[in-house]
Amino acid sequence: MLALKSSVIDLRQSEKKTLIGFFLLYTALCIVILIFISFVYFKVQKDFMLSQKRITLQNYSNEFIARLKHLHVNFDKYQTYPRDPRFQSAIYDSDKKQIFSTLKSDSINLNSIVYTSKKKIHFIKEPESYYLGSKYVILEIDDDLVWINKTQRDLIIFVTIAFIFLLIVGYFLLKLFLKPMRDAMHLLDRFIKDTTHELNTPISAIVANVEMIDVNGLDEKLARKIRRIDIGAKTVSNIYEDLTYLTLNNKIISQNENINVSELLHQRIEYFQTLASVKKIEFIENIQTDIHMYIDSKKLSKLIDNLISNAIKYNKIEGSIKVELKNGYLCIQDTGKGIKKEQLRLLYDRYSRFDKSVGGFGIGLNIVSMICKEYHLDINISSELNMGTKVIVKW
Amino acid sequence: MVKFLFISTVMLMTSLQASVYKDNCVSCHEELPVSIDKYFYRYLLKYSSEKDVKKAMKTYLENPSEKSSVMGDAFINRFGIKYKTDLTNDELDKALNDYWKTYKVFGKLK
Repeated sequence: MLALKSSVIDLRQSEKKTLIGFFLLYTALCIVILIFISFVYFKVQKDFMLSQKRITLQNYSNEFIARLKHLHVNFDKYQTYPRDPRFQSAIYDSDKKQIFSTLKSDSINLNSIVYTSKKKIHFIKEPESYYLGSKYVILEIDDDLVWINKTQRDLIIFVTIAFIFLLIVGYFLLKLFLKPMRDAMHLLDRFIKDTTHELNTPISAIVANVEMIDVNGLDEKLARKIRRIDIGAKTVSNIYEDLTYLTLNNKIISQNENINVSELLHQRIEYFQTLASVKKIEFIENIQTDIHMYIDSKKLSKLIDNLISNAIKYNKIEGSIKVELKNGYLCIQDTGKGIKKEQLRLLYDRYSRFDKSVGGFGIGLNIVSMICKEYHLDINISSELNMGTKVIVKW
Repeated sequence: MVKFLFISTVMLMTSLQASVYKDNCVSCHEELPVSIDKYFYRYLLKYSSEKDVKKAMKTYLENPSEKSSVMGDAFINRFGIKYKTDLTNDELDKALNDYWKTYKVFGKLK
């Protein structure tokens, strides 16, 4: 068996959505983790800065309390509040009532020891004795914001590097996550390629020999049997061609030429007549003559074959297929069971099958979609349950 | 006329209230070598807020003891403990209010 090499794997829409969902979730998770780490780092840096400032403020407060003590003892002689150019200060009594203040910031939190507020650092000290009634001594210095600038710079560098690193990890995780799915699809594609290759010779032999039989010279019973063989051979041949197209034709360069679409459409309808007759389906043709198109004839045949084949396959017994062709417009409409609206958007996905009661691999419309994409054809499928499906191709 | 009478009554009451502190507190402490303000700052040093200072002073004045005194042992050994106040509750409150207003730190710092 010959295994044809192919590295191209088409992911289904739902799989793409799952991957996008995974990627978004992973990115969101990374961002949350980085925000959390940044917050912790910021807090640690702030605490570190405050612990350094606290030592300085502790020394200032000792000096200030000594001056407060001196004032308390000599309050009958003078009442000048001790001031220092290095810091602002305030004193509060045990009821948290302000006795005196030179503070610039009015947001005071007497329950903390050291904290920042409005670009100021506040330090709260409780003296052993309440000089002038002051249970709380508050010292205030300016926050030079050097630490915050440094922290911001560090965080930007860290977050950027960490985010890139996490994205790379995410990419490898995604590949790991995809591997079983890709393996399964590779296996399926490989199986199909091998099978189609092995089918080639017997199918060609059956189709060629059936075509050579003169049915008119046979009795009715035998002629019916030959027609059944013809239908079976054509069905297998059609599937074979689809699979071959997927594995080979979509990767080779198209042989574009000016094609008479009207003639080709007549030929293809003729080809499918036998198949349609089994379900007593009638073709209603409205085909304008001499409609031309610059396209690869095999690909256009494939497109028409798949649309007609589907119209037969999903049609009801004694139904009809309307085929309309005019300049830049091809319409194939059946009278079958129709497709649910929510399933319409998944129609072009490979291996999508909504009615398992009929045969097929679910690759027909995927091929149609690929051909339309290659030749920029506008395809529109509308469907109504139990009424039928209408496929319009415009160019 | 009514306005004059009202103002006169208020002023009279105010002067009567002030006299509780002056007559019953200052008058005695003037005879002691330690001025009355020193006791105030002792209380302030220990109790901080107006509410706590007044409460501690009242507790001491109603039941004076070495334990509840804010003064040092040397002071107590030399001058002893004061006698229990005979002022009524209202008089005591008024006297303490005046005492607080006279020596409070609020509004005096420059």
